[in-house]
Amino acid sequence: AAAARRPWRLFGAMCLLRLPRITQPLQKEEEEVAALMGQIEVEKSQYSDHEIRKLEEEERLRRRKENPYDDDDEVTGKTVIMAQDLEDKWEQKFLRFKAAPRITDADKKNIRTSLNRKLDSNLMLLVKQKIGNQELWLLPQVEWQPGETLRNTAERAMATFLGDHIQAKILGNAPYGIYKYKFPRAIRTEDNMGAKVFFFKAFLQSSDFTQTELKADYLWVTKNELGDYLKPEYLKKVNRFLLD
Amino acid sequence: LCSFSSCSSLLPQRGPLRGSHWQSSVLTLRTSLPVRAQPKKKKKVDVRREQAQKDRMKKKLKKLEKAAPELIPIEDFITPLKYSDSNRVRSLPALSPEETERRVLLLKKWCLFKQKQDEAEKKAIQSLVESQQEALKELRLESEELYQAAIRRDEGLFPFQRDGPTYTPPLPGYDPPEGKCVDITKVYTQ
Repeated sequence: AAAARRPWRLFGAMCLLRLPRITQPLQKEEEEVAALMGQIEVEKSQYSDHEIRKLEEEERLRRRKENPYDDDDEVTGKTVIMAQDLEDKWEQKFLRFKAAPRITDADKKNIRTSLNRKLDSNLMLLVKQKIGNQELWLLPQVEWQPGETLRNTAERAMATFLGDHIQAKILGNAPYGIYKYKFPRAIRTEDNMGAKVFFFKAFLQSSDFTQTELKADYLWVTKNELGDYLKPEYLKKVNRFLLD
Repeated sequence: LCSFSSCSSLLPQRGPLRGSHWQSSVLTLRTSLPVRAQPKKKKKVDVRREQAQKDRMKKKLKKLEKAAPELIPIEDFITPLKYSDSNRVRSLPALSPEETERRVLLLKKWCLFKQKQDEAEKKAIQSLVESQQEALKELRLESEELYQAAIRRDEGLFPFQRDGPTYTPPLPGYDPPEGKCVDITKVYTQ
């Protein structure tokens, strides 16, 4: 019974996602509707305390301009802070604050190995691995060894390429996708027909880590850019379990 | 004659009064318990009266406690009176018919947009689930124990917490200004 080994070799691959850090830009319809909602909210609202104060002060200013010598309730010499002054002060303070840019340097130079790129979409790790006698861009994968579950294989794959100090949340014990391929006839034997690669998904938790890459090339790419690197069949299977 | 009568009236008042002739000496204080029936009754009635008073108080307390507790007012549902002033009402020009037309058409476009977005999401989830089912099927063909390990529940997955995306990325080395927060929520006890 032990000799009934299946002729497929098993691999566990890890699809490590860096989740977006900023919101995606609004589309045209979304912007229009957001503006409309703002307008409706203003129309249905009542005056707030600040607005009433502003209106009263404008009224007072106007009256003072019309009769400049008639200030019976104004005490001259005392500086009163007007609501408009407050607003100007707040505006100045806001303009002085410079937020971090949404489009980073890495974006502009298209450095695909940096994690600071495309902060509004998911980034996936791709590594260059040697399969047979070809160097291919793949999701990091490692062969399954008896005695471990496939999830452990995937974790091992992640650790081989990124080191042990990676904090990633693996989403469950079950694989998300499978890519099956048969070896070319030259190396195909009776009990070594092909390989099955099981994909697991994980979210990258540690936000900034010094990427001590052990092996060769790696890339962080978005879903749209996957097509530049992956083979068509492989890409098709991977795209199925990637939500944009 | 008068002196004689005064003498006689003075005589009985020479010593302290005796309650009864059973008392041995007049000079000792009343140390023994009074043996008469009258004082005893007083005490019983006192005790009983006190007991009855206590019971009445307890009954009243119980009645008060049994009454339904006062409802805590929900502050959000009570509009403060200062917001029902008429000077608060905003004065805006009325909407032109073109504007209402534009709004209605925009909302219809929005409806369509949201419908397409929702359909796309559902399709993506469907494809993800199918892909997972296929993977599990293949795994089952491979080895049963790996399959069982795969369909086991992952205990460490939930509770899963993540901070959502912001409009701009975090500024490195930014020191937010300190502020004081005074909590003025009213706490009601029942």
